[in-house]
Amino acid sequence: MVKIYVVNNGGQWTHREWRTLRYLQVETKIVPNTVALDTLVEDAIDGLVLSGGAPRIGLEGTLGNCAQLLDKLSVPILGICAGHQFMARHFGGTAEPSKIPEFGKVELTLIDPDDPLFEGVPQQSTVWESHNDEVTRIPSDFKNLGKSENCEIQAMTHTSKPLYGLQFHPEVEHTQYGALIFKNFVQICTR
Amino acid sequence: MFDAKQFINDAVQELKNTAKGKAMIAFSGGVDSTVCAALVNKALGKDLIAVHVDTGYMRKNESDRVVATMKQMGLHYRFIDARSEFYEALKGIIDPEEKRKRIGKTFIAQFEHVAQEEDVAYLVQGTIAPDWIESGGELRDTIKSHHNVGGLPETMNLKLIEPLRDLYKDEVRKIARELKVPAAEHQPFPGPGLAIRILGEATPERAQIIREACAIVEQEIENAVEKGTMEKPWQYFAVLIPVKTVGVHGDKRAYGYTIAIRSVESIDAMTCSYSDIPHQVLDKISTRLTNTMGEKINRIVYDVTNKPPGTVEWE
Repeated sequence: MVKIYVVNNGGQWTHREWRTLRYLQVETKIVPNTVALDTLVEDAIDGLVLSGGAPRIGLEGTLGNCAQLLDKLSVPILGICAGHQFMARHFGGTAEPSKIPEFGKVELTLIDPDDPLFEGVPQQSTVWESHNDEVTRIPSDFKNLGKSENCEIQAMTHTSKPLYGLQFHPEVEHTQYGALIFKNFVQICTR
Repeated sequence: MFDAKQFINDAVQELKNTAKGKAMIAFSGGVDSTVCAALVNKALGKDLIAVHVDTGYMRKNESDRVVATMKQMGLHYRFIDARSEFYEALKGIIDPEEKRKRIGKTFIAQFEHVAQEEDVAYLVQGTIAPDWIESGGELRDTIKSHHNVGGLPETMNLKLIEPLRDLYKDEVRKIARELKVPAAEHQPFPGPGLAIRILGEATPERAQIIREACAIVEQEIENAVEKGTMEKPWQYFAVLIPVKTVGVHGDKRAYGYTIAIRSVESIDAMTCSYSDIPHQVLDKISTRLTNTMGEKINRIVYDVTNKPPGTVEWE
């Protein structure tokens, strides 16, 4: 059974990420964001989700132990919302308060629909958001995979490592292809 | 997918293993507490006592229906009329979080009473995932306090059992249908009840107004659903906005409160979209509300907010 843990950054939908993985028959567990690298290595995880977070948590500070996890783990990592913003900052990008924050329904336009994370997802789809901050400058080692009217960087991936960041929330029921995106991530973890 | 049968087996086994003694269940009559009661009943049988509290903020005839349900389910039960205690606790209180905390405290006082009298060792609650998620804790912000989360005083000496903690409403409904629990399809109703459907002070008079308004909204929507005019929404009710605006009733100036109609679609309550209610249904509700309650209400609005950015309930 594929094993993908969820790092808890204090988001409202962290538990939904856990539920979505369970529904995909993935062995999963919610761990605090201070989880030790050794614990994850010992547990031999196949992938990791850095959950959305408490207010402003993606913008400042260390996000628990996430820096070390991003540097030392070789498994695929999916950062959502605060997790995505932290990932961008960690690799040299910028995250700042959004000029126009997005809450609820947003139209996502894929820039690179061939990426395996978006297999089967149409170029335009409805996603659900809840963010006050966003990635305003993508790290040089990452490429932009999607955008919306008010947010340029809705999705990103490292050009050589299996790292993904999503500003929107694939784990909620209202994101049209959310479950499929998660399914694709699980596939990426089983390669 | 969610396997209700497996969950029931595991939960009943877990209850049999953990609960060695008398248990009391907080029974609001909603789908969560009813499912919990059915599960615990399966596991413990005679060692369970269900407690229903009339807070004074229940919907029309609700407590009567709940008592009937407890009887029908064959539960050993206690019914507590705590209306005056709750009204007293909320006197002069306008802050929504303060309201919720006081309601929580007043509930606990009722349960403490019963726990002592009945010599109970365990308190069972139908707490589900959104309850503890939104209450905050660890890194999470408190979106709103829930009366059933984080309130038990140590002096109470009761062990807490919450078999549905990791579930969302849609999963609880699957269990309810498997157990043939009648509340399976009931719309969600918040623990603080009508108290949080009144912005500002929740006086007994205002509770009566919103009780009437909620009954009208429910009836008209349910009629429309039955006629096939619309699908049954996830949750649908009225909110009293005690802000006065000008109206005209029979050539006379009117100056009355506003009622907001709220209706949303959802699967798990964590994200919701406002309902697409047919115009003729909104029209009927609006007219019926102002005709029935014209002395107090002369304006009706419809809430067009998704979650996020709003929450389903207004407080």
